Amino acid sequence: MYAEEIHDYLKSFFKETDCEVLHDEGHLLTVQLTIDIDKKIMNRPFYWQYIEATNSTPNPARLTLITNRTKVDNPLMGEVIHFGSGRLNQIFKATKELGSFVKMYQQVSNETGKQQTLTPYFCVNYKVSYYCDQTKEKLYSLGINLMNGEIEDNFHEFVSQLNLAPYQPDGSFCLQYIIKPTRALERLDVMIQSIIQNDDHSWAEEAKKRWIKEQEVLDYFYVGVEEKPESYQIEKKGLEERFNPRIKVEIINGGLFYIK
Amino acid sequence: MIMERSTNWREDFIKRFEQDGPWDSWTLYKMSYEIEKMNLIPEFSGLQAPKFLTNLQLLPHQVEAAQTVIEKMNGKAILADEVGLGKTIEAGLIMKEYMIRGLVKKALILVPASLQNQWVTELNVRFFIPAISYRKNTPIDQYDVVVMSMDTAKKSPHREKIYEQDYDMIIIDEAHKLKNHKTQIYEFVQSLKKKFCLLLTATPIQNDVFEIFYLVSLLKPGHLGNYEAFQSSFSATKNSIDGEKYLKELVNQVMVRNRRHDTGIEWTRRKVETIPVQFTSQEQEVYNMISELKSVSSIFASSFTMVTLLKEMCSSKEATFLTLNKMIQKCSSTEEKNYIEAIIEKLMNLETNAKAEKVIEIIEKAQDKVIIFTEYRATQAYLQWYLYTKGITSVLFNGKFSKSKRDWMKQLFRERAQVLIATESGGEGINLQFCHHVINYDLPWNPMKLEQRIGRVHRLGQEEDVHIYNLAIENTIEQKILDLLSSKIDVFEKVVGDLDDILTRKA
Repeated sequence: MYAEEIHDYLKSFFKETDCEVLHDEGHLLTVQLTIDIDKKIMNRPFYWQYIEATNSTPNPARLTLITNRTKVDNPLMGEVIHFGSGRLNQIFKATKELGSFVKMYQQVSNETGKQQTLTPYFCVNYKVSYYCDQTKEKLYSLGINLMNGEIEDNFHEFVSQLNLAPYQPDGSFCLQYIIKPTRALERLDVMIQSIIQNDDHSWAEEAKKRWIKEQEVLDYFYVGVEEKPESYQIEKKGLEERFNPRIKVEIINGGLFYIK
Repeated sequence: MIMERSTNWREDFIKRFEQDGPWDSWTLYKMSYEIEKMNLIPEFSGLQAPKFLTNLQLLPHQVEAAQTVIEKMNGKAILADEVGLGKTIEAGLIMKEYMIRGLVKKALILVPASLQNQWVTELNVRFFIPAISYRKNTPIDQYDVVVMSMDTAKKSPHREKIYEQDYDMIIIDEAHKLKNHKTQIYEFVQSLKKKFCLLLTATPIQNDVFEIFYLVSLLKPGHLGNYEAFQSSFSATKNSIDGEKYLKELVNQVMVRNRRHDTGIEWTRRKVETIPVQFTSQEQEVYNMISELKSVSSIFASSFTMVTLLKEMCSSKEATFLTLNKMIQKCSSTEEKNYIEAIIEKLMNLETNAKAEKVIEIIEKAQDKVIIFTEYRATQAYLQWYLYTKGITSVLFNGKFSKSKRDWMKQLFRERAQVLIATESGGEGINLQFCHHVINYDLPWNPMKLEQRIGRVHRLGQEEDVHIYNLAIENTIEQKILDLLSSKIDVFEKVVGDLDDILTRKA
């Protein structure tokens, strides 16, 4: 992420979260946080505990963020933000929290006077992580048609190109879903399981091979030792934790979409 | 295979669905997805960390080292770059990579006390890893990344507290301090779970080949076999080894070692000279009398005491006197006492110190800043006085100095004094690239100590050739030390790899 991208990102984030931008120079941003955002990104739970316990007037922080250090004479004027910095990570985390569930409608025009019909879809964005002593991650955006149960991949890429808003457009008609979203969620979970099962898992085989090899090395060290000492068990456990293949399925976000 | 399903998203969604809201912002929803996409780890191989480390100029050999450790060595390795190539950077990079990949959360970094704060700063400032420095009573269960001094870690109650934690990664700096398997620190580390583990040392062999065996066995027990197998397959004795080619190959499977000349960075040269010194006839006489001591009294039967005395005699009469004076207290018979007193008398009457005169000669010829390393505090004080009488300004340096005093002495040396006189223990933790002359006034038994000394000066940022003068008095124990040093260097080079010049090369 380049300096300008970070700057734009921050601006959109604060706009969406109702934090007033007081000053913007393109490489420097002064912003008045709301109470809610202060709690999420400022790392000061004790302050908020104190304010709430004593019923004092809250004073959410005013932040000056420098997004391009090379353009600032005095870096002490504010907090330098760059890709990898802790504050940006907290803002990423807050974004995730505040952008988890949506219900969106495609904005269709009814110039022709004909009523437009919108079909309900349910989408879940999954992150699948493969872990052993190495890591690989994949994103799957699965969308299911709540009328006929058809499932499509890359759903997010598809809907992000549409003109969407959180309200139903005038003169449109939304079909009542046949598959209940809670049921659809189960179907998508089954789908993601089967996608994972059909994926190439040679990585796990390779990890097991490395594991066995290192276990053999360890056993060689204690060859002829009748009662293996505790350090053997500790090492063995370390090997298991390092190489044992694991898969994690995480949901990033998802929601309901009414589209043409 | 284990499959985890995380997040309470499902429950939360059902709740919101049933209450029809509240629904989140579409913009934040899209931003969140974009961030995930951007931070995705698309391949098992390759490094993700560098793009996050905007405060750091990584050198190619450092990136390569990190990649080798992660991809070929499965996260357990000895980082053995020569001094000054950035082992700390490599370790930080590897740790960061594992943290990004979600494989390491909790890490313990064991370092000598003098380097504790430096590590904490580096990790926080350069790697954005929130590491804390462990002091007594730090609640370590509340911190993910803890930097602790080795001396603290091995003792109760700290060691028990560490064992209670479940660390994903252990990093040990100056790992040659673990060369002895009988020490408390070795046993402590041995019983520690090492899921991912890095041992950092420029000197994986200091004295004998068993040190590499114990170091590797700590990291990966069995890699070099068990003790008996190691000893018999390589018919290893302390200073010689068979089948070194195979051993070297095995060691290289768990060790990354960059040499200065492999880094693509321009390095200035090392010019190493062995300077032979002749005792004056009076000095020689005292030296001979000391050599005879063991036949005079049983107190001197211990070869350790004898060796100490002889080495001290090669250093200064001040150093020798202190030890002799201690010995005389232990003597019971008058005969023994008389002999020692005779030595002391002769000693005190010595007017010239041939080695110190040689030092003056070198300093005058250099016409530049010079560092002198000695093993003895008494010699250090004497040299300062002697240089003073010759009109040469000097400052002292040793390992017991506090951080602020060290910085002050360094400053004084840079700006005011011509000479810095350091004892061995002052060797670690100062960088003096503005100086280009190193005098090894006394020789240590361990070649790696010489390497550490030279490394203070000959490191990244040095712009001129570095001159190294190894002083050795002829026909004394120092001659033997020189021979032993070169046979140790020989073992090191056979098993670990080539070394930059420490001693004058044999023809």
